Amino acid sequence: MIGKRNLWSNKLTLDLKFFLVLCCLIALVPLFDLTPYTLGILVISFYFALIAMGWNLLAGFTGQFSMAPAAFAMIGGYTAALLNHHLGLSLWVGMPCSVLVSALLGFLVGSTVLGLKGPYLSLTTLAFAEVARVVISNSHDFTRGDQGLNVPTLMQSRLGYYYLFLALLVLIALLIYALMRSRFGGFLLAIRDDAHGAQSRGIPIVKFKLIAFILSSAISGFAGCMYGTFTELVSPEMGLIQQAGIIISMVVIGGMGSLSGPLLGALIVYLGSEWLRSVGNIQMIVFALTVIIFARFFRTGLWGLFLKFYFSMLTDKNR
Amino acid sequence: MNMTQPIIKVDSISKRFGGNQAVDHVSIDIKRGSILGLIGPNGSGKTTVLNMLSGELLPDEGKISLEDFDITGCSPSKLVQLGVTRMFQMTKVFVRLSAIDNLLIAGQALGLRKEECLERAAMLIKELTLENVQYLDAAQLSGGQKKLLEFGMCFMVPPKVALLDEPFAAVHPVMRQTMSQFIKDRHQKGQTFLLVSHDMPIIKELCEESVCMNAGKIIAQGKTKDVLDKAEVIEAYLGGDHE
Repeated sequence: MIGKRNLWSNKLTLDLKFFLVLCCLIALVPLFDLTPYTLGILVISFYFALIAMGWNLLAGFTGQFSMAPAAFAMIGGYTAALLNHHLGLSLWVGMPCSVLVSALLGFLVGSTVLGLKGPYLSLTTLAFAEVARVVISNSHDFTRGDQGLNVPTLMQSRLGYYYLFLALLVLIALLIYALMRSRFGGFLLAIRDDAHGAQSRGIPIVKFKLIAFILSSAISGFAGCMYGTFTELVSPEMGLIQQAGIIISMVVIGGMGSLSGPLLGALIVYLGSEWLRSVGNIQMIVFALTVIIFARFFRTGLWGLFLKFYFSMLTDKNR
Repeated sequence: MNMTQPIIKVDSISKRFGGNQAVDHVSIDIKRGSILGLIGPNGSGKTTVLNMLSGELLPDEGKISLEDFDITGCSPSKLVQLGVTRMFQMTKVFVRLSAIDNLLIAGQALGLRKEECLERAAMLIKELTLENVQYLDAAQLSGGQKKLLEFGMCFMVPPKVALLDEPFAAVHPVMRQTMSQFIKDRHQKGQTFLLVSHDMPIIKELCEESVCMNAGKIIAQGKTKDVLDKAEVIEAYLGGDHE
């Protein structure tokens, strides 16, 4: 019998355990004497996993399909970079400011768009993302435009960044776990499944959607800031629509509405993309087809497939 | 609190959709502790009245009061907090969550602690005979089980007034019996209901008083038996052949 294992709190705990086991395995990977290039690729895949987790909080858990996760990461990165470039402020000021500015912009955009539904919400956030990127790209005097801006680094060690990003992934996963186990999380799931029904049960849906939007933006902004300190550069390319597409495909492939899905998806998509680079410039075709296959046949993504397999094993065992 | 005054007073509300006058100066008093039936043919304006009572629609004219408190234009979530709960004709449950989780969310939305919610959910699951499906996702439940689940969600915190829109439509007779017994039990404890239904035997069985609407207007109201016997009701609603 699956029984109580199907309760949301139990499924979420199983998800967190899987996530932590995965992180432990990832922590062992550098023992295999990786090149700095491979370490760099892995760190960038962790960056994408962080944004994917933020986007998943909004889309996977709340059902609000924003197209601006990459734009918020760019805004977070630029906040730290601009504070350092113009005011000489250190990263210890820049990092919290990148979270605050992304959250504040998330509040402003969210207040405007969250009364909208479905494609209108997506289109409005898409328009915001493009406007933000074009403004940064064209403000040469302030942002140095397409040349990008330098960001101070926290450390020179790639291995150090590897473990720093891994620790951040665990931290964000624990934060999302705590949120989703609370009544707040239950309300988000209710809004995802039936916003009208949630409202008729007494849940103020706009308020909770807005909080999810702000948190998602803040996580993306923080990820963007950390990415900037790793690469020591931020540029408008961080906010390209293709980047949002990659993040969305990571979550769809890994499994929407789960903790492990975004990490699984980010590793598969980004590492796969690097591997396919040697085959030819066919990454986007492969990932587009993969997303179509998952959206059509495996809507719950890899995490959903794992759960199905796990529950069927339990059922067989109890027969 | 005056126990004799109506718990909900609907004072001459109207609603127009373009050229269609869906509800035309309708006034209804829902007595405290009563089960009031709201009947009428399709398109008579019953659901529009219910939508205005539950805050889904704002009346163009008129006023709705809950215990002397003007609730006209309150949002659905605010009205639930004030004690007006609604069950929809098209079931509204959270399909990717288990039946227990659905009840838990409904209780927590009204400020109950988790332990309290689990306790009440267990009681409702038993009362509504959903024990065998309590851990299944709501998507896996039958139409009737989903109705029972939504019904239970309405009663996680006993409301002041429960608005039920076609709760018995497409429900298996055994589940109908469970639901009608639940209504009777709660009614005995003083619960107030507004019941919209096309099911005349159920209306006769449960409702002492009824209101009949046609073309957006009230054509009869009073004792259910008297309403059903009125010539206008028979003509408008029952096609002129009522026994």
